[in-house]
Amino acid sequence: MSTGGKRIGGIVRFLAANWKINLAAALEYRLSFFLLAGMMFLNNLIWLFFWYLFFERFPVVSGWRLEDVMLLWSVSTGGFGWVSVLFGNFNRVALIVSSGQLDVYLAQPKPVLLNVLTSRMSVTGAGDLIFGLVVFIAVGDLTLRGCALFACALLISGALFVGVMVIAGSLAFWLGNAEGIAGQVFGSFISLTIYPTGIFRGAAKFILFTVVPAGFIGYMPIGLMREFDPWFAAAAAGSAVLFAAGGMLMFRAGLGQYTSGNAIAMRN
Amino acid sequence: MNRYAAGLRGACLKQLAIVRIALRQQWAYKADFLLRACFLLLILYVLGQLYGAAYEGDYERTIGGFTLRQIVWYLVFTEAITMAGPPVGVRIEEEVKNGDIAVRLTRPLSYVGYHYGSYLGEGALRFIVLLLTGGLVAWLSVGPPAFGFGLPAYLLLAVLGLTLSFLLTAAIGLCAFWVEETRGLEFVLQKLLFTVGGLLIPVDLMPEWLQRVCAWLPFQAALYLPARVGVRYGGELMLQVCLQQLAWIAALGLLVAFIYKRGAGKLHVNGG
Repeated sequence: MSTGGKRIGGIVRFLAANWKINLAAALEYRLSFFLLAGMMFLNNLIWLFFWYLFFERFPVVSGWRLEDVMLLWSVSTGGFGWVSVLFGNFNRVALIVSSGQLDVYLAQPKPVLLNVLTSRMSVTGAGDLIFGLVVFIAVGDLTLRGCALFACALLISGALFVGVMVIAGSLAFWLGNAEGIAGQVFGSFISLTIYPTGIFRGAAKFILFTVVPAGFIGYMPIGLMREFDPWFAAAAAGSAVLFAAGGMLMFRAGLGQYTSGNAIAMRN
Repeated sequence: MNRYAAGLRGACLKQLAIVRIALRQQWAYKADFLLRACFLLLILYVLGQLYGAAYEGDYERTIGGFTLRQIVWYLVFTEAITMAGPPVGVRIEEEVKNGDIAVRLTRPLSYVGYHYGSYLGEGALRFIVLLLTGGLVAWLSVGPPAFGFGLPAYLLLAVLGLTLSFLLTAAIGLCAFWVEETRGLEFVLQKLLFTVGGLLIPVDLMPEWLQRVCAWLPFQAALYLPARVGVRYGGELMLQVCLQQLAWIAALGLLVAFIYKRGAGKLHVNGG
């Protein structure tokens, strides 16, 4: 086997070991696991109840119906869910950098960003993922093509979540305490992905498809799943790759700036 | 009688002192609540766009008794009350769990009264900032408020709404005397305020069966009713809402006092 192949094989084994340990740790407190995941499921369900109430009063809003918003929720929560399960630290990069916890990862002979991201599993993320899948089964197109498109939508939305949050979190390398900013970006980005893109006009719409790519997640039920638009699909996939690569590059550039104190941190 | 009056005066002065201290303390965290205000800007912008699309941009159209302008201002009013409230349930839970409650109990202050004063002090400052920020967004997007006495009426009812929110959250936080984890219960409360409390959609726009359910619950008195009076003012309605809120405050106040009395009676704190 070539050196490159060996290296990739090593990374895959490392990731599999990390995920296995995370799952075992989460299942150690089974009741807590199911309660937290169930709570997130309930949270999302209540949001859908709001949308039911809303569409009872306004059946069609900018061409969107209740089923479309349900699909949007399946993509948004499903995408957020799988990255939270597999890359649970994606929204904690700023905290890890600013609190000096990065030292632990730097001392290990593994890709730093990948190690940081995969060293935690979000239990509530499991609830989001299950919710996304359940909603898709309820209102989605369950043909082979429909399922494949849904899988693509989950992949793209997940990559966008990780990319945006790693970029925001990496600001901590330059700003120091960037937790507040990263938290705002996190909350705002999620908020923008759970409303139909059709309600936005003009400059707001432009921003949602460029600087803050939440529009790609929001428009997925229409542009990718209901009426497959190859241009939109290409733009969404391109944006996901761009933001994920941007996050990696920014993190790598930030590592060159990183300094820490003498805090003794445990990996968590 | 004089002794009773002096005692009452003393209690009021203590409460005011707590409100003042909490207000000062909150002022030290200006950046935190300015960030909250930024988040409110975004939420209001998105909700404004959502209702704007639902009304098709028609400012004259009335749905469920609300025009687009009234809906946007309604959302400012409900969000300001919701986001102003400090996480008092979490604080009480922490104090009970780590034993800090023992320190509080040694002070010549009512434990629940202390948290209420602190809640009002912190909440007041946040509420003003959130209301001004949200009001600015609403003003720029749908125009100035033209609700007559609605605004002063809302301010009065919002204080009662905040009191109700405090009592609901405190009742749950005090359950920490019996159960270790109250976050789940608080989560349920938040979601009830979110839906049947009318945070994002006025109760008038909900199906009739749900409106009937909401009428029997205290949640709408915390958010929906003050905001509704704010945007659709009526003297009689205001009085009715005020009485309804006071009745719920009395009922929940008794419940909180009962939970506290039972819980504090069985409290054991070790070490220190």
